[in-house]
Amino acid sequence: MTAPSLALTDKTRPRRASRPLDERLLFGACVLVPVVALVLFFLLPLATIVWRSVTEESGGIGVANYLALFRTPGILRAVGNSLLVGTATTAVCLVLGFAVAYAAQRTRVPGKRFVAAALSLPLLAPSLVLGLGLIFLLGRNGLVSNLLGVRLNIYGFPGLLIANVLYALPQAVLIIQAALRQSDARYYDAAEVMGATRLQQFLGITLPNVKFGLLSAGFVVFTVTITDFGNAVTIGGDFSVLATEIYNQVTGQMKFGIGAAVGILLLLPTGIAVYIERVAAQRQFGTASESALPPVPDRLPMRDIPLFLVTMTLALSIAAVVATVVFASVVRLWPYRLDFTTKHYAITLSGGYDPLWTSLGVSAATAGIGTVLLFALVLGLRRMPPGLAKAVYLLAVLPVGVPGLVLGLSYIFAFNLAGTPLHMLYGTALLLALCNFYHYHTQGFLTMVTGMRAVPAALEEAAGCLGGGVLRVLGDVVVPVMVPTLLSVFFFLFMRSMVTLSAIIFLVSPSTNLAAVTVMRLDEAGFVSQAAAFSTCIMAAVAAAALAMRGALALAGRRKAA
Amino acid sequence: MDLQIKNLLKTFDGFVALDRITLNVEEREFVCLLGPSGCGKTTLLRIIAGLMPYDAGELLMGGRDLGTVPARDRGFGIVFQSYSLFPNMTVAQNIGYGLKIRKAPRDRIAARVGELLDLIKLPKVADRYPWQLSGGQQQRVALARALAVDPSLILLDEPLSALDARVRADLRTEIRDVQRRLGIPTIMVTHDQEEALTLADKVVCMNHGLIEQVGTPQDLYLRPRTRFVADFMGSSNLLPTAWVRETMPHLMPGRPDGAENAFEACVRPERVAVTPAPDADGRVIDLTFLGNIRRLRLSWRGRELLAETNRDPGVEPGAAVDVSVAADACAWVRA
Ligand SMILES: Nc1ncnc2c1ncn2[C@@H]1O[C@H](COP(=O)(O)OP(=O)(O)OP(=O)(O)O)[C@@H](O)[C@H]1O
Ligand SMILES: [Mg+2]
Repeated sequence: MTAPSLALTDKTRPRRASRPLDERLLFGACVLVPVVALVLFFLLPLATIVWRSVTEESGGIGVANYLALFRTPGILRAVGNSLLVGTATTAVCLVLGFAVAYAAQRTRVPGKRFVAAALSLPLLAPSLVLGLGLIFLLGRNGLVSNLLGVRLNIYGFPGLLIANVLYALPQAVLIIQAALRQSDARYYDAAEVMGATRLQQFLGITLPNVKFGLLSAGFVVFTVTITDFGNAVTIGGDFSVLATEIYNQVTGQMKFGIGAAVGILLLLPTGIAVYIERVAAQRQFGTASESALPPVPDRLPMRDIPLFLVTMTLALSIAAVVATVVFASVVRLWPYRLDFTTKHYAITLSGGYDPLWTSLGVSAATAGIGTVLLFALVLGLRRMPPGLAKAVYLLAVLPVGVPGLVLGLSYIFAFNLAGTPLHMLYGTALLLALCNFYHYHTQGFLTMVTGMRAVPAALEEAAGCLGGGVLRVLGDVVVPVMVPTLLSVFFFLFMRSMVTLSAIIFLVSPSTNLAAVTVMRLDEAGFVSQAAAFSTCIMAAVAAAALAMRGALALAGRRKAA
Repeated sequence: MDLQIKNLLKTFDGFVALDRITLNVEEREFVCLLGPSGCGKTTLLRIIAGLMPYDAGELLMGGRDLGTVPARDRGFGIVFQSYSLFPNMTVAQNIGYGLKIRKAPRDRIAARVGELLDLIKLPKVADRYPWQLSGGQQQRVALARALAVDPSLILLDEPLSALDARVRADLRTEIRDVQRRLGIPTIMVTHDQEEALTLADKVVCMNHGLIEQVGTPQDLYLRPRTRFVADFMGSSNLLPTAWVRETMPHLMPGRPDGAENAFEACVRPERVAVTPAPDADGRVIDLTFLGNIRRLRLSWRGRELLAETNRDPGVEPGAAVDVSVAADACAWVRA
């Protein structure tokens, strides 16, 4: 283009009100930093694990690692076992989860608050706490064996099944309950007038409408189960499953190629689950309209009495298992000598309570870094061209499809490479924090997006027109509205980070040991009471965080109302 | 079959939602329940459908007491305002649902569904899901679904109110035609008085859980019995007795006996005749052009009156006009 024509176009070009430079820089950085971090700490590790899974021992490229899977007897058995326990857990969780969700959403069965509270317990503790509690109750030296004088054998499939069900059930209930909530009383009124019986209404309307909810709950449970590490280690016994086997292959026998191949295979079920979730979100027939009338819960003894018994039994079981762990931690010798003692709280494993402090530090870092990055990302996304924003959005929701186990493995491959700049991070608490953050990135991101939707764009513009600079607008308009969301995201990341085991199990080192790992080590070493004591400390910390969140949210709400 | 409602009482925790309602719906009759929001129309409809219990009174269908008959055994058809098609079923499945419940053979269901789709003029949507239809189409399907089982009574709860004006008018005539053709007694809830006037054989005007007046559309419009009805059915001039006696004594003979404040004269604006006359005592305050009619606000003998005409009255605001009301143009309503 020649100079004169340029000058001409300059004059005639419609003037778009362009944002001031500092503003553009700020919002550019808002997006750039989180996206670069996503690439470095999520995409890159994932690419590395794919790469490693097709890198053969000889150094060439090929599918040898995948073929080797079939020739490793341990792996084959573990796959079979994992599928078995995964399928069984899924089936049980769907039936029980539907019962609990239905009771909560569509009936007036008493005790709903208690059931909800009991069901939230497993979310406050590392998964292996349930295994631990089950062993205390039903194990060889457990309460029931002791009372009945028989020696129950809970280790292996039955114990793992129960522990997994208790662990995964709350997540299934949440999903199914959300699906049940999407309905309208008028469907049932119409069916009633058309002559349908209760049973026909249930089969013809209720069930088909939660189809996608059930499907997505099923995949979530299945994935959680086959990639969970804690329960398999504590209560699995000789029943080897994929998660433990992969851990042995990688950390015990240093067979990284096979580990990578299994990791890739584990992406399949979650991939499908995430895909179904997306499809379901779009096809969830007749998406909730504003004017929907929720069905009124009613009473029906024939249905409610069995439902009450089932939900109460479940809630009491979960509460009992968790309570047993706490109780066993303060008695001399469970279940034989029940006199009170605090001696188990003197941890004999080297390091003592250091891992708990490390965990708290790592979790605080996860929550802090995570909240800031997510806030920046969501803030920047609002001002991006739609096409680009969509791509970034997709990238940001991708991590939910990657199980912790696979993420942890991929971090080894990406960061345990001597000679690369990223190697510096390996073995540091910072890397643990980042790993935890990206493990739970999607949930935090979606919460943040929802929160940001509540910030009225008009308000922002109004503040801008009044002459407020970017930071002014942020501080006066955006942040105040976002406070509850920021708090929720912060505490969500903190609490998850305190209890997760599956990803960081591959990354901990003696100097950066974490609390959940310590419980596992104590249990492995036979110090079960100390494991219980340590678990109790974790639960106390997480419960305190949960309370702090409630308090902070209430405070934020009060301030807004004032 | 006819429906008889006798002294129906319904309360919600002491709040009287329906205050001893008595009403008959004859065979082949189209009845509109009309009234402001919260007057109890939906409540009455749901009680008739059997979706809600009532406290006292009687409900008879063809002489049979419905009190103990559950909704599913009444054999009625119902259409709601919107969003009541089963979202997990196709249009054909929705329409055929009632027949399927009654265990009709599959080919009969298919035939009936085809027939009804033709009736509602949507022959090609059988395999679509509700969310793939427009609001108007959804309501037609809902109507077809209600008709599929040959109901002995059709209940419509504001079936058109979620639609835009044009679609509403079209669908209104269609509902009317279908109902005429099939001769099924129908009760429709609406708070649109125009809808009630065009559709109904009988309009039931309700207020605060009470029936104010029942009658043909002409009755309610031309001979409202209460101030509420006069006001609710279109606009009107409501004139106190004393003023009428003084200014338009020729209207007084029609007045029922009663205390001075017990009755008011209701004169519809189109019955107020306006003629320009230079030395008359009426004044035009302003003039509004509404397309087919023109509305005038007049000041006459100390009151403000509303007049409507469909011809150009040939006056400007401020012009002097002569005002007259024919003797038969007035209905006396209870104040
Ligand atoms: N389930 C209920 N519990 C308590 N009060 C109710 C209930 N249903 C209706 N009411 C009350 O009964 C009165 C009549 O309600 P109804 O729904 O019949 O009104 P409506 O005439 O259909 O009004 P709209 O035109 O707004 O639909 C209202 O005052 C309402 O608040
Ligand atoms: Mg209503």
